[in-house]
Amino acid sequence: MALSETEKRRLSGVDIQTRKKGVLVRPDLCIGCRGCQTACKEWNKLPGDRTVNRGTYENPPDLTPNLYNKIRFVEVEEGGHLRWLFISQRCMHCTEAGCMKVCPAPGALYRTPEGAVAFNKKKCIGCRFCLAGCPFNIPRYDAEEKISKCHLCADRLAFGLEPACTKTCPTGALTFGDRDELIQMAKASGFEAVYGEKDLGGLGVLYAFKEFPSFYGLPDSPGLPASVAFWKSILKPLALIGLGGAVAAAAAHYITVGPKEPEEGGEE
Amino acid sequence: MRHDLVQRTTGWERFNHWLLALSFIVLVLTGFGFLYNSLNWLNTIFGGNQLAKEIHKWAGVVFTLSVLFTLGSYLGDSIRFTKEDYQWLSSLGGYLSKTTTEPPQGRLNAGQKLYYLLVVVLTGAVIIITGFILWFAQSTGWLRFGHFLHNLAFVVFVTTVPLHIYLSTAANPGTFRAMTRGTVTRAWVKRHHRKWAKEIGIE
Repeated sequence: MALSETEKRRLSGVDIQTRKKGVLVRPDLCIGCRGCQTACKEWNKLPGDRTVNRGTYENPPDLTPNLYNKIRFVEVEEGGHLRWLFISQRCMHCTEAGCMKVCPAPGALYRTPEGAVAFNKKKCIGCRFCLAGCPFNIPRYDAEEKISKCHLCADRLAFGLEPACTKTCPTGALTFGDRDELIQMAKASGFEAVYGEKDLGGLGVLYAFKEFPSFYGLPDSPGLPASVAFWKSILKPLALIGLGGAVAAAAAHYITVGPKEPEEGGEE
Repeated sequence: MRHDLVQRTTGWERFNHWLLALSFIVLVLTGFGFLYNSLNWLNTIFGGNQLAKEIHKWAGVVFTLSVLFTLGSYLGDSIRFTKEDYQWLSSLGGYLSKTTTEPPQGRLNAGQKLYYLLVVVLTGAVIIITGFILWFAQSTGWLRFGHFLHNLAFVVFVTTVPLHIYLSTAANPGTFRAMTRGTVTRAWVKRHHRKWAKEIGIE
């Protein structure tokens, strides 16, 4: 079977090395079928969560260790008119990933060649710092206290397949592709701004919104939590500078002013 | 005891000091191992990240108890500031020149008092409390709060403890034996703690 140009590029690795992959989310095209939610569970072999009827089709109410991708249902009344909107909620695969910045166990969170933030439960030490680092409240902890979240189907991407969610989506609300092409695609469809184009160094999951992001429960201008940003840029280097500075100051004092020698005749 | 020696510390104080020091070293080494990817090899010494995390937590418990034990030994003296203490501070303990003489100091000098109050007690309390927050907290808000202050206190510790080690060894010959043998010479007491020398009647 002859390979297409895209497949050749993909197999040669050039494409993967030079271009970050992403998912474009178009809430205006989402019909709330939750096919992506189910496909994600099937591919990742995630068991169902026992939930109760809350009077909405939105189920479960939030992401869980067994739910990496969830359709959030938004009901809004505008001038006596009900609007029912849907949005895929999952890991954004930030370029400047807060979770990776604070993770103390190298390799527990890692960047795939396609630019996704994936995890290795064997290396996770269960410290929960990634909860503190995430601007979107995404990571969850399983029963063994290990991280659980969307990894953009890293195991499918590695073999040139697209994620289960985008493969399943029947309406084009979720599209997988090269990140910069997805941005162009959204702009060609008339969206002036793409959520995640520049935020946090560029999100792997891009949103083409007709409303404000906060309408869907997302921060309007997402960024690293202030405490995490301050820690990363100031405190972390300061720990090494402080230690080195203290040792250097002691050494400098010893060879310049010198120690308090015992007085003459005094035995110390 | 040799007639020219003065008892400086009790056996209990020395035991607790080294308990504190040992737990501190374990905490700092694993702390650096967790903080910097490039220093993660430090945690390999402690059996890998998973085990290093458990060791860090339980060394923290030892550290907590040890800090509490120090209160009986040093808190009382440290909170009493006298005019000699202000003199000591204004001349920076005579550390910046050979000619300055040390104002007469009690059992603890002003620098030791401040080190104890600001580093051991205050920063110690911050790192201990936030350590337990990070151990048990589930919410993002508490984790961010704990993570930030734990690291801030870490910076204070790694900057000040090397100075403590220098001042108690190379910078002041004859001092270190107070934490090993428990004694110092009369000459050392008269030189560094003249007020204390009078109090214990050796001058």
